Amino acid sequence: MTDQTAAPGPLSEADQKAKEAYFTASQRQLIWQRFKKNKSALFGAWVLIVLILSGIFSPFLTPYDPTIAGRDKEYMNGAPEIPRFCDENGCSLRPFVYTTVRERSIKTNFRWVTEVKTGLEDRRYLQFFVEGSPYKLFGMTFNTHLFGVDKGQIHLFGTDSTGKDIFSRTFAAINTSMAVGTIGVFIAFVLALIIGGVSGYYGGWIDSVLQMLTDTIRTVPAIPLFMALAAFIPDTWSAEMRFFFISIILGFIGWPTLARRVRTHLLTERNQEYVLAAQLCGASAGHIIRRHLLPSFTSYIIVDLVISFPYMVLSETALSFIGLGLKDPVNSLGVMLQNVTSADVLLNYQWYFIPVIFFIVLVLAFVFVGDGLRDAADPYSDSKK
Amino acid sequence: MLQFARFTATRAVLAVLTLLLVSFIVFTLMELVPGDCAERYIAFKNTQGAVITVADIEAERIRLGLDKPYLERWVKWVWGAFQGDFGDSCILRLNIAQLLGDKFKISLGLSLAALVFAYLIAIPVGIYAAVSKNRVVNNILRLVSYLGLALPNFLLALIIMLFATVYFHNSLTGLFSKEFRDAAWSWAKLVDFLKHAWLPVFILGWSATAFAIQTVRALMSDEIGKLYVTAAEARGVSGRRLLMRYPARHALAPIINSLGFDLNRIFNELPVVALILTLTEAGSLLIDALAKSNDQQLAGAIIFLLTGSIVAMNFITDILLAIMDPRVRKSILR
Repeated sequence: MTDQTAAPGPLSEADQKAKEAYFTASQRQLIWQRFKKNKSALFGAWVLIVLILSGIFSPFLTPYDPTIAGRDKEYMNGAPEIPRFCDENGCSLRPFVYTTVRERSIKTNFRWVTEVKTGLEDRRYLQFFVEGSPYKLFGMTFNTHLFGVDKGQIHLFGTDSTGKDIFSRTFAAINTSMAVGTIGVFIAFVLALIIGGVSGYYGGWIDSVLQMLTDTIRTVPAIPLFMALAAFIPDTWSAEMRFFFISIILGFIGWPTLARRVRTHLLTERNQEYVLAAQLCGASAGHIIRRHLLPSFTSYIIVDLVISFPYMVLSETALSFIGLGLKDPVNSLGVMLQNVTSADVLLNYQWYFIPVIFFIVLVLAFVFVGDGLRDAADPYSDSKK
Repeated sequence: MLQFARFTATRAVLAVLTLLLVSFIVFTLMELVPGDCAERYIAFKNTQGAVITVADIEAERIRLGLDKPYLERWVKWVWGAFQGDFGDSCILRLNIAQLLGDKFKISLGLSLAALVFAYLIAIPVGIYAAVSKNRVVNNILRLVSYLGLALPNFLLALIIMLFATVYFHNSLTGLFSKEFRDAAWSWAKLVDFLKHAWLPVFILGWSATAFAIQTVRALMSDEIGKLYVTAAEARGVSGRRLLMRYPARHALAPIINSLGFDLNRIFNELPVVALILTLTEAGSLLIDALAKSNDQQLAGAIIFLLTGSIVAMNFITDILLAIMDPRVRKSILR
């Protein structure tokens, strides 16, 4: 470095290469270079990747079936069982949990009372790669789970009122949320491209009419409208159909913001010379929008998609929470939180709230990555600061 | 002055047009719900022991005017809606306007209070954040605004309830104490109401505040580097006087414009928060209408009223902006 400032001669070979790389770099490479510098966004990206992967591999990572099939009849509303290495009876290299016994008799005043047995013989040891309930992953059937215990079941995050394992449900729920978000964002994205694309490319009265429509949809409060739409779902629909319907509704209401942005970009881009050139060559409007205009701001669209993702996830959660969205046996955070407002749960079963932490982390990770990407995609972000 | 009147009139026409479009969407949605009012009434009579024939349903349809064409019924509905009359709910067999009455006013009041709360905090804090070079303050504010997004209001409400129940043995729910629930409005009832209302206002205002701080900060830091600020500084204006008279005035104009959308966001959160905090007086009526009974008339009326308040808000902010900034008036008329 010092050499160069002292003698501004011909650039060294390495520097020349670096410069060339900079000027010939694709938009994607430039964004990645800037994104890498943002430590919090990079951290968010790692967290996000870990969460998404653990969602996809949730059947393997979690010990039990998240639906009613995997319930533990012996341990309903059970507290989290934390594996430990040591207690007053000495230590063990293999972590263990205690056995619990539920009893209802004249002694307990005819109420269910859970007793934890802490004796040496009541230890249940943690095991890895245990055989358990079968599950499907990538079209193949497996039955090996990452961990389990030698006797009975282990519930790291406790169980709910029907004995379903909250740990298993949490990871299944991450998967569901990602799927709902992906479908919803995809539909919103396609609609936004079509409507925003047409509006921005043609301009004039088509633009005015479409903008009026977009603005009107933006004024209607979305969640109350969701609720009205979700109420149409007949009770006879299967959980899967509900799932797709909800995702589609989310997509249908999420497009206006994105459509507006696509339109604004197109309005400025459509007067560029390369568009005129394409028009003179006889290209159709659809072809010009798709092949010439959209690629000019793909990166911005991707950024917008990432930013709108958490909104989809949160809307689904809110909708399921009030009982209008997804239902058992599909797991999502909203479904899991459905019954937590009762005083009984608030006072006695606080472990119902453990999944909330995961979701805050998931949404935060998305927000960090989205913000980082937005800064990275903005070529002027450096000069602004 | 004439110009201003014309501007106001244009905006008013636009607002009414938007409302008409919304009412058409809402009405169409209501029509799509399976089962109409006649069937509901007759089904109710059936439960009372009367014997029902298909002819009875048809007669009831004619009595209720359901045999008329779709557009005619829409016009009738809209005409009523603009006069505050939404007809009767078929399921509850009550007049909707009476049913909503106070409840809608309370909901709107809570939402507006949340909006005021959000900006009372966001404007000074946002301006401070834009001006100050303090890294710690800026990072904390960034975190808070991220949390405003990641911790949606209903999760915040749940968490506050969890802590309140565990540590104070008081779930902080409801809007009135028992003795005031059915009483007429009085000073004591108002005091009681305010004692309960702070929590919903805080929760509803929470993410709005986070968003608003972010917006104020961004707008303010854009304005603060501009030449007219430097020029004012060179003339010897400084400190708070400089900030408030020059950049803040410009920075805050777009915010007035977006108030309607902020209200929209708060309305979004209202039903769920109301459900958690069991505010039966406010938005949870919507959930009752939709989730429990599929009451399309009531749901339609509520959505129409909510959208109506947002459109009204947009109209008011447009006018406010025009009063404050003559450039806006001219841009509309051209």
